[in-house]
Amino acid sequence: MPFDYRRFNGPEDSVSYKRFSEDFLRTYDELYKDLLDENGKRKDGRALNEARSLCTSISRTNIVSQAKGSAYVELNKTKVICSVFDPREITGHQNEYSWFGQIYCEVKFAPFSCPRKRRQLVPDSDEKALSADLKKALETVVRRDKFPNFQMDIFVYILEHDGGCLSAAINAAGLALADAVVPMYDIVSASSVAIINDQIIIDPTEAEEHLALMYTDKEKNHGLVTMCFMHHLKQFTDFRQIGSVDAECVLKVMDILEKECDKLMLVIKKIMVSNVVRQHNEHKVLLEEAKFREEVLQSKVEEWRKLLNAG
Amino acid sequence: MAGLLLSRTEKVYIVNGIEEDFRSDGRSNYDYRPIELETNVVSHASGSARLRLANTDILVGIKTEVDIPKPETPGLGKIEFFVDCSANATPEFEGRGGEQLANRISNILQRAYHASQAFNLKQLCIFEGKQCWKLYVDILILECGGNLCDAVSLAVKAALFTTRIPFVKAALMDGGDVDLQLSDDPFDSKPLVVGTAPLLVTLCKIGNKFVVDPSAEEEFCSIVSVVIGVSGNPAHYTTEKIENVESKFTTIGMSGVGGLVPDTLKSAISQGIVAAKCLDSALGRSLLRERQDICSYKKDSYGFLK
Amino acid sequence: MPGPDLLSSQGLRLDGRRPNELRRIRCKLGVFTQPDGSAYLEQGNTKVLAAVYGPHQAAKSKMSTEGVVVNCQYSMATFSTGERKNRPRGDRKSQEMSLHLRQALSSAIKTELYPRSQIDIYIEVLQADGAAFCASVNAATLALIDAGVPLRAYACACTSSVAWRGSQPEPLLDVGHVEEAAGGVCLTVAALPSTGSIALLEMSHRLHMDYFEVVISRAMQGCRDIEVILDKAVREHLAEGWTKQDIVTI
Repeated sequence: MPFDYRRFNGPEDSVSYKRFSEDFLRTYDELYKDLLDENGKRKDGRALNEARSLCTSISRTNIVSQAKGSAYVELNKTKVICSVFDPREITGHQNEYSWFGQIYCEVKFAPFSCPRKRRQLVPDSDEKALSADLKKALETVVRRDKFPNFQMDIFVYILEHDGGCLSAAINAAGLALADAVVPMYDIVSASSVAIINDQIIIDPTEAEEHLALMYTDKEKNHGLVTMCFMHHLKQFTDFRQIGSVDAECVLKVMDILEKECDKLMLVIKKIMVSNVVRQHNEHKVLLEEAKFREEVLQSKVEEWRKLLNAG
Repeated sequence: MAGLLLSRTEKVYIVNGIEEDFRSDGRSNYDYRPIELETNVVSHASGSARLRLANTDILVGIKTEVDIPKPETPGLGKIEFFVDCSANATPEFEGRGGEQLANRISNILQRAYHASQAFNLKQLCIFEGKQCWKLYVDILILECGGNLCDAVSLAVKAALFTTRIPFVKAALMDGGDVDLQLSDDPFDSKPLVVGTAPLLVTLCKIGNKFVVDPSAEEEFCSIVSVVIGVSGNPAHYTTEKIENVESKFTTIGMSGVGGLVPDTLKSAISQGIVAAKCLDSALGRSLLRERQDICSYKKDSYGFLK
Repeated sequence: MPGPDLLSSQGLRLDGRRPNELRRIRCKLGVFTQPDGSAYLEQGNTKVLAAVYGPHQAAKSKMSTEGVVVNCQYSMATFSTGERKNRPRGDRKSQEMSLHLRQALSSAIKTELYPRSQIDIYIEVLQADGAAFCASVNAATLALIDAGVPLRAYACACTSSVAWRGSQPEPLLDVGHVEEAAGGVCLTVAALPSTGSIALLEMSHRLHMDYFEVVISRAMQGCRDIEVILDKAVREHLAEGWTKQDIVTI
């Protein structure tokens, strides 16, 4: 078991104090009763089929200045940051030449990101699975034939986890890739759905996800579906479902998610366009400033020359 | 896979054959290759199975250990999957070479067995909040001949079917700790209820068609495949008459590099659920027959000597 | 010394064998199709699978112009022992076993025939019930023969221990897990019996010099017995001629 020795760790068998709070031990039925209020709204005031909007003002690209491209995505409390680095050549003599570029993905939770536990610094199986899923979703979209035998690194850091982190990570990565001007076939967008007791809940929060995967004796459908979609090609690049859902429900969810992704696409496009506009404006401002400085310098030079000529 | 070399013409041959619903080994797109299954092959394990699907060879051993349940689920036991890709399969797996594949398979299994309708963890509870059984499902991949996921899930279900959990004779409370006394008699135990345990079906997209049970060569020709987990029907796993339970998806995932049009995915998963149901009933039948043979001392043990 | 318990008053061992008796050995060559050679061997309850790949071009870092590089990997299935193992390979014990295997098998293989090449030998212990190393050597020999690698002689391995009948030492052949755990002497010999040479010798615990001779001669006797069994298996396998699998692959 890898262990982080640079930090002060509690005793191995220590548990979070939250374990002894009443909230922690609530049963499925109690939690289910609390899921919706009397008006059929969710805790955060959304309707069942209402997604959290990707705030265009907050979600933006070009966040990490060291990276080639980066993006920050915020869905209410879910906050994800993603950076994409330049392709670098795959070294190591035992590797064969690969005709397609490789994508390396790493998803990391911040230690304080999860409401239920503290995340360790060493990657756990959750994070590894998320990284693999992200890689699967992106490999299809990126034109890997454009950079043979090169590897591109994509890092996703989840600052706060309140449900839908895989879809948020994919959306952020799509934006960051576009920001890094990586050639792609299409724009990707991802969306998720929770199914609790036959009810379909779009864009679930962490509490709702937890409830969807909780252990229950009920025979009804429960589960979590995440889908990644290419808008113009009308193709899934990734589809993941866990839980227990019958065939009819899966088909229904597919249609719903397709519509959700289409809605998201508009927002993503807007962010991309606004980003280009902003960069263009910034560029313009920089040019003007440069011109102004040049003029100032030029006038100084003139002045000096005059002084010199005057002796 | 191991030094698999396929020329362009061979690929075209495979792809065109599948288009005509006639594969290179004479199967149709919906056929599985012959499967050999033997249970109780490892005496150190509580339950075990060896499955051979054409060239794919899987050995599963299940060990039970007493553990403390997770605080958030005091009434449930634990199950853990560990996949080991033996270097016997291909020299590429030497050292840590097989780890990526192993992680992928154990992830899929973990997801498929997560749902409560797929595997009832309550039967592993000993003392609520204090003690539970932990099942270690150890999967050893000895030879890869394509379609690992399906073969592994079949072998795991067969091994779980033969697993017996010893009865607890007495429990002494010593302060806050529980001291368990288990019965020594190996027959004084209960079998696990595994009727609903899921089976995985891989649907490999080759050309424009989906095939089940791809061979290693066919996997090589495919760019995208869909893996679905479908829960089983307990009626197939008991001699008593019980109600049929409708199969549900416990996991769906895609692997490989490529996208799918929604309609294609829909047709794939409905093709997959049919295949899973057939597999499930066939597995149930053969496991019951094997159990019958063991009870009447008719069974010969073959192991690897066949 | 934990002497008398290992032998009953009738002179039989814990599992009912006589002191000079091997456990039942059953084996099969060519269990898999993908490796160049493979074998399965059961020695009592110890079950071992071996696979051989090669000879093929050696990795650059390992290449030797003198002869073939023998690359061994010994791994134990996580369910092979009574207690569950956490890791199938990579721990100290498996690494040591890999080294020993390499030493024992290099002496049997005609290494000078294949310079700049490499032979991979992979051992998978499915069930360990004492003397897993010996079973591995025997299985690897069979797998090498199945792969058609030229050998000087059969490499056979056997363990022996010692029990006391009064003050008289009585060497025990082919030590089982229970006898191993009882904590007596355990001498492992890997030998090429037909040439009479020893390839590897390892001993644990303390044994007086005077008794060493009897113990090692008993172990050598065991190796010779095993050679007969292996030879019979190989002949039977070859007598079957083209097996079904061969026909399919052609």
